[in-house]
Amino acid sequence: MIQKKICLLGASGVGKTSLVRQFVEGIFSDKYLTTIGVKIDKKVVELAIGQVQLMIWDIEGIDRYSGFQSKYLRGASAYAIVTDQTRSQSLIEGMEIHLMARAATNAPAIMIINKSDLDVAWHWTQNELNGYSKEFVSCFSTSAKTGAGVEDMFKFIAQLSLK
Amino acid sequence: MQQSLIQALGIINCTILKRLHDHSFEVMHCNQDWFYSLAPEAVGNTLFELSDNSPFLNDFLIDAEDFWQIGNDGQIQSGIWTEQSADKLLRLEAIAAVAKGECYLVINNLEVEYKRQQKTLQVARELLISNDKVLAQHEYIHARLDEVLRINQDLQSLQEPIKKVIENAEFGVFICDPKLRVINQNPFAFSLFEIDKDTSDADPFSIFMALFEKQCQEYQRVIETASHWYGELFWHKPPYTSKWLQVAIYPVKNDNGLLKNWVFIVSDVSRVKYLMQKNEELSLYDNVTNLPNRQFFWQALEKSLQKSAAFFVFYIDVKHFKRINELHGHGAGDHLLVDISERLISLLQKDDLCARIGGNEFGVMLFSEQDQQQCNQFAKRIIEAIESPFYTESHQKIQVGVNIGVAHYPTDTADAEELMKFADLAMFAAKRTAKSSVQFYSTALREASQKRMEMEASLRHAIEQGHFELYLQPILELESGQITKAEALIRWRLEDGSLVAPDDFIPLAEQTGLIVPLGKWVINRAGEMLKTIIQHKPSLKVSVNLSPRQFSDKNLVSFLKSVVDHCGIPAQNLELELTEGVLIDNFDKVQQLLNDVRKMGISVSIDDFGTGYSSLAYLQKLPIDHLKIDRSFVRDLDTNDSDRAIVLAVIAMAHSLKLGVIAEGVENRQQRQFLLDNQCDTAQGYLFSKPVPFDDFCQQLIVESSQNKH
Repeated sequence: MIQKKICLLGASGVGKTSLVRQFVEGIFSDKYLTTIGVKIDKKVVELAIGQVQLMIWDIEGIDRYSGFQSKYLRGASAYAIVTDQTRSQSLIEGMEIHLMARAATNAPAIMIINKSDLDVAWHWTQNELNGYSKEFVSCFSTSAKTGAGVEDMFKFIAQLSLK
Repeated sequence: MQQSLIQALGIINCTILKRLHDHSFEVMHCNQDWFYSLAPEAVGNTLFELSDNSPFLNDFLIDAEDFWQIGNDGQIQSGIWTEQSADKLLRLEAIAAVAKGECYLVINNLEVEYKRQQKTLQVARELLISNDKVLAQHEYIHARLDEVLRINQDLQSLQEPIKKVIENAEFGVFICDPKLRVINQNPFAFSLFEIDKDTSDADPFSIFMALFEKQCQEYQRVIETASHWYGELFWHKPPYTSKWLQVAIYPVKNDNGLLKNWVFIVSDVSRVKYLMQKNEELSLYDNVTNLPNRQFFWQALEKSLQKSAAFFVFYIDVKHFKRINELHGHGAGDHLLVDISERLISLLQKDDLCARIGGNEFGVMLFSEQDQQQCNQFAKRIIEAIESPFYTESHQKIQVGVNIGVAHYPTDTADAEELMKFADLAMFAAKRTAKSSVQFYSTALREASQKRMEMEASLRHAIEQGHFELYLQPILELESGQITKAEALIRWRLEDGSLVAPDDFIPLAEQTGLIVPLGKWVINRAGEMLKTIIQHKPSLKVSVNLSPRQFSDKNLVSFLKSVVDHCGIPAQNLELELTEGVLIDNFDKVQQLLNDVRKMGISVSIDDFGTGYSSLAYLQKLPIDHLKIDRSFVRDLDTNDSDRAIVLAVIAMAHSLKLGVIAEGVENRQQRQFLLDNQCDTAQGYLFSKPVPFDDFCQQLIVESSQNKH
């Protein structure tokens, strides 16, 4: 079976681990538990052309306590920048991470705007968001809590990883 | 390796493998509890081939192989990763090592370390996220309110989305007039202070202001100088209620630099504080720089007073920090703060203390230098250290300056609150200079500061009431003696009728930003005057002085256009006077602006030429029309050979560059004759006329005109 490595990157607390848990185990917990280092989960995705096994690298949030590690992107077929629509700063930081990731890999990238179950509390206008999302192959709105958009997003990234 | 030795070394929870060749290992020590789930192929085998069971480890082996191939003694680490075993999560870290020519792979189980690290990071990150949210809300509301309040006269016209955000906000918002009378306060402001609007007369804003006055040493300075402030206050309501409040205070000023409103945004950050208390290190240390925080500094200050040993308190303010955040992002701003803190610490001795006491403010308690001169040297070392360039992660160069205020215990005061207040006042006095500087607190400084605040208030009042007059000083063509131009000079008329000279209030206006409305008034008034003047003498120009701050006003060109259009005067009759300092500040911007001004037809002269940075390159490259020789060179023309040489050089240079020359401060016939003999085109000074009111100037034109007729 084809195996593809994909990486989830973003500021801390945006919900990277929750997205993976929702996708792989169908579980969500409201309690925030910070990730340290890397955790790799595997899941087989059914695509029209056949099955792909995704190796999802859930990477510790990049912030003042943990810097960007380009080595984790080695061999990645695609990556996602995860942001949290309740925190403006998560988008700014996400874009900074994207900039660093682009310097480290040619893999295609998608943007994920997570926590769609909560009220939008960032203050980006649609125009600004469109400007940012232009930097990505696609942009997804997801909720790790309800599962909304999660399956579609991972399917998309699986397809993207094959290109 | 002997098991007993490994156990004696206390490195039990690890697996040590000796590399034989590519992916082939010999087990030296193994913790069977977990290692076999990672490498089942090792079960029952001392020698084994590591399979692809763990993608993370597999990936690390790429780096490890490179490292082993090089073969130098040392080690590289993989970083922590989590591996799912059959029944639990393993927290692991791999190390590739070379020792005495042998290659090893060590895998550590970091379960205990992971839990410890997670506990700390969990709190730190929750704090970070909470702070992020509070800051983002404050900044958003501030930016929107600032935008709206600057333009609109009242709050009725607040746009619906902002109104909604404020009404539903989970933080208190107070909007006040310049005299601190509340115009609007949102529902949360009441619930924050646990006031039932329907049953209680208590006023949340009064409670808030009382806290601010009592707990913040910068209170008086912030209010009197309409400054921005960001910090924390503690509210206690007996018997059981207490809250930590994060406060942002923003003065809203109109285009004329006049205070229109105050906006206070207050968030309850008790939860953040609670999280901090769970980790003592976080509650007393700043999580960006790891320096002690304001609370720690405060405690240390009070403890030091009890010991009675003399020391200096430094209040260090990083200039234009907000601009760096805006230009390079908050990440770069944080890095800058870390770098600054490291540079500060490197200057301190063991007993000294440095803390981050505000967003862009640091406090230092200096015990190691005992007299003011040494302390001054120390402050200069701080300036030197901080002014050296910083580099962002993307290698962009950042340069910052600092304002330093210093107060001494016990000379200035023996009271902790006053010490901080005095150091803050001194810092504010240092802020007046554009460059980094240090200011020591003194009674004279306090008095001067008080006087300055009063003067500033009077100046604001004078701008509102229009207590200014524009005088004109004629500029004559030396050969013909005809008036060809006039320099517009502002005067401030006090209510008792006396006049304040520009030297006494222009520097203050420049520092406070009030120069922008004043400058606009001058240009407007000069335009109106020109409307009348050109009826007497169509070719006559009026020149107006532009300060550095006016020059950096992005609306300058459009404003000039509007004045020319509104007054219906030819732009050619207007001239701008700039000092050399303005020109070299930002060459590209200046060139663009001067080109725009020139396109309109407005001419430009360089004022006080020879006193500033006389870079000749800009004279050639910029669209300049005249040089004005500074009065200091003209004053001693009769007696001073050097001055004569300078004046001759300026005239020669100006002529070779096809620029006109205007001599300032001509007071006697000898000076006039010298200038005339040496082809200086035009001059101004008391020999011809002092600056006069508009009517007197018109009278001079009428007299000149009638003399010409005869």
